[in-house]
Amino acid sequence: MKIEETPDNFQALDTVGAVGNQPSTPEGIAALGGTEQQTAGVTQAELDRRAETETREATTEGQSLSPLQASMRRLGRDRRAMFFMALVLILIVVSYVGPLVWTRVGPTILTGAAGLDKSGPASYHNYVFEDLSRQNANSSSLHPFGTDAIGRDILARIMAGVNVSIEVALLVEIMDIGLGVTIGTLAGYYGGWLATFLDRFTDLMFAFPGLLFAILAAATLGPVFQSRLGLPGRLILVSMALGISVWPFMARLVRGQTLQLREQQFIEASRTVGSSNRHIIMSHIVPNLFNIVIVAATLDVVNTIVSEAVISLLGLGVQTPGSSLGLMINDAAAVIAVYPWEVVWPTAVLAILVLAFSFMGDGVQDAFNPRTKD
Amino acid sequence: MDQILSNLPLLIVVVLLVGFLVYTGFHIGPRFLVRRIAGLVFVILGVSFVTFILGYLAPGDVVVNQLGVHYTVAGARALRHLYGLDLPWWQQYGNYLNQLLHFSLGRSWLTYSQTVWSILSQFVPVSATLGLSSLVLAAILGIPLGMLAAVRSNTRYDTVIQTVALAFYALPSFVIIPFYALAMVWLNYQGLPHLQVSGWGTWDTMLAPIVITAINSFAGYLRYTRTSVIEVLRQDYVRTARAKGLSERVVLWRHVFKNALLPLITITGPSVGFVVTGLFITENLFNIPGIGQEALNAIISRDFPVVQGVTILLAVTVALMNLVTDVTYGLVDPRIKVA
Repeated sequence: MKIEETPDNFQALDTVGAVGNQPSTPEGIAALGGTEQQTAGVTQAELDRRAETETREATTEGQSLSPLQASMRRLGRDRRAMFFMALVLILIVVSYVGPLVWTRVGPTILTGAAGLDKSGPASYHNYVFEDLSRQNANSSSLHPFGTDAIGRDILARIMAGVNVSIEVALLVEIMDIGLGVTIGTLAGYYGGWLATFLDRFTDLMFAFPGLLFAILAAATLGPVFQSRLGLPGRLILVSMALGISVWPFMARLVRGQTLQLREQQFIEASRTVGSSNRHIIMSHIVPNLFNIVIVAATLDVVNTIVSEAVISLLGLGVQTPGSSLGLMINDAAAVIAVYPWEVVWPTAVLAILVLAFSFMGDGVQDAFNPRTKD
Repeated sequence: MDQILSNLPLLIVVVLLVGFLVYTGFHIGPRFLVRRIAGLVFVILGVSFVTFILGYLAPGDVVVNQLGVHYTVAGARALRHLYGLDLPWWQQYGNYLNQLLHFSLGRSWLTYSQTVWSILSQFVPVSATLGLSSLVLAAILGIPLGMLAAVRSNTRYDTVIQTVALAFYALPSFVIIPFYALAMVWLNYQGLPHLQVSGWGTWDTMLAPIVITAINSFAGYLRYTRTSVIEVLRQDYVRTARAKGLSERVVLWRHVFKNALLPLITITGPSVGFVVTGLFITENLFNIPGIGQEALNAIISRDFPVVQGVTILLAVTVALMNLVTDVTYGLVDPRIKVA
C-alpha cells in the first residue's frame, strides 16, 4: 500500500481544507508558547456556554449558572486545588496571627550576652530580638525551630519572612493587574500608539530578564529607597521592579482578549443602543477579562515570591534586622555543615509556600480556563 | 583593523547570523525580517538605556570609592575624565552607543587594563556550558516523559508525572541546592563517595549544577510535549492510520511523534531566557565563575561598563534566540505564516 508509506500525504490533505486551523486550536496556541492565547477561534461566549452545559449536566437540578459560578464550582470539585488553597490560607493566617500569639507565650527568662537581663516572650519571641546567650540554639520548647547565629528566634523570623513574601506578592499583583488590565484594555480597544508602545515595551521586557532588572534596580537604587523610606523602602523598590517587569505580559494577554471581545455581537448591540466607549469597556469588556486575569495573576504569584527570595538571598532585598526567607537562607548557608536546621526550616517553608501557590494556580487555571484541559 | 581582529569570534557569529537571515529572507519574505531586526535594535537601545540610567542615578561616586585614601581633587578629576563621567548624561550615553556601533563594550572601571569584551569572553564559556548542557538534559528528560503522559493522558501515570514535574518546576533551585549540599556533607561525614558542592571545571563539580538546572526546567518540555502529542492524537490522519489497521506502535512513532515534536522548537527561545535567569542563583550558590556571578560582582562593585556588557549580551542572546526560533518554525512548518 502506497498510502501507508507516506503518512505525510495524509497530513497534507488533512490540512488543506483548514488553512490556519492549526494555530487556532487552543492547544496549538498553547503549544506555540503564545502569550496571546485568546486569539483562539473559540470565542469566550462559546466557552462559557460549554462550561455552563458541562456544569448543568453535572448538577441534577438543572438551574443555570453564571460562568463565574460554573468556574467556582469546578474549582470546588478539584480536591488537590482546594487542599493547596487551604494550605495557602493557613500559611497566611498563621504568619499574620502567629506573631501576636507567639510574643505572648513563654516564661520570663534571663537573656543577653552575660545572661543577666530579664526578658519576657514579647522580646525574645520578637523576630529582631538578639539573645546572645542562646546563639545557634537547638530546638527547645522556648525556641521550637532553634535560634540563628545571633540568637534570634527562627520561628518568629520565618513568620515575618512569610509576611514579606505575601506583601511583595500583593504589591506586585496590584501593579500587574492595575497596569496590565488598564493598558491592555485600552491598547486592545483603541489600538494606535498605545498598542505600539505596549508591543515595544513587551519586546524589551522579553529580552531583559526580569530578575536581572530587579537585581540591578535593587542594587543601584536600594540605598536611596532605604534612606528615604526606611527598611520597607527596599521592599517597595523590589516590588516595583518586579511589577514593572511582569505587567507587559498581563497587558498582552488582556489585549488579545479585548481584541476578540471587541468584535463580538453583544458589544455591537451595546453600541447600537448608543453606549459610550467608556460604558462598553467598563461594563462589557472588563468583566469578561476576569477569567484570564485571575489565572495569570495566580501563576505570577509563584514567580514573584521566588524572585523576592532570590533578591534577598543575594543580599540586595530585605536587610537585616528585617526578615525574609531568602535572607534567612543566605545567613544560614554559611554554617550549613554545622547547623543544618537553620537552613532547612526557611527552605522548607519557602518550598511549601511556592508549591502551595503553584498547585493552587494549576487548579485555578483548569477551573477558569477550561480550554487548557484535555 | 586591530579592533576587527580582536572581535573575530563576534564577527563570525554576526556573519553566520546574517547568512541565516538572508537565507530565510528568501524563503519567508523580507518584510518580517526587517521588522524583527528593527525590533532587535530597539531592544538593544532600550536595554542599554535602562541599564545606563540606573547606573547614572545610583547614589555614591565610583571615583571616590575607587580612589579611597588616595583621593586628591586632581586625581579624581583625571579619573572622571578618563571614564567620561565629566560629561552630561546624554553625551555619556551617546558615547556608549558610539562604542557599541564599533562592536566595543568599553573598558572595565575596576580593572581598566581589561576590556569588557575580554572579561565576558572569559566567563561566557562557563555559563554557556552550564546552560546548554542543562537544556539538553532537560529535553532528554522532558520529551519522553511528556510523550508518556500524553499517551496515557488522564490516567494515574499522567497525574503522577504532571504533579512531580510541576513540583520540580515550582521549586526554585536555591531550595533544592541546600538539601543537595546537606546530603553531600552527610555523605562526607560517613566517609562515603560524594560530589563537590562548589567550584567548576571537573566532572564532580559540574554534574550537580547541570542536573539541578535541568530538573528545574524539564517541566516546560514535558508540558509542551504532552499538549502537542494530545493535539496530534486527535487529528484525522491518526484516526485514519488506526482505522486501516496499523499497530499502535507504528501510529505513535511514525504518525504522531514526528509531527508532535515540531512545536517544541518554539519553546527553545523562552527556555534560553529561563536558563539565563536561573544562572544568577545557581552560579552564586555553587560558586561557579560564570556570567551570572560576574554580573552580580560587577553590580555590587558598581563596575557599570561590565554590567552594561552583561545585560546587553543577555538581552541580545534572548532576543536572537526568539528570532531564530520564530524563523526556524516558519521554515519547517509551512503552515505557519510569520509575516
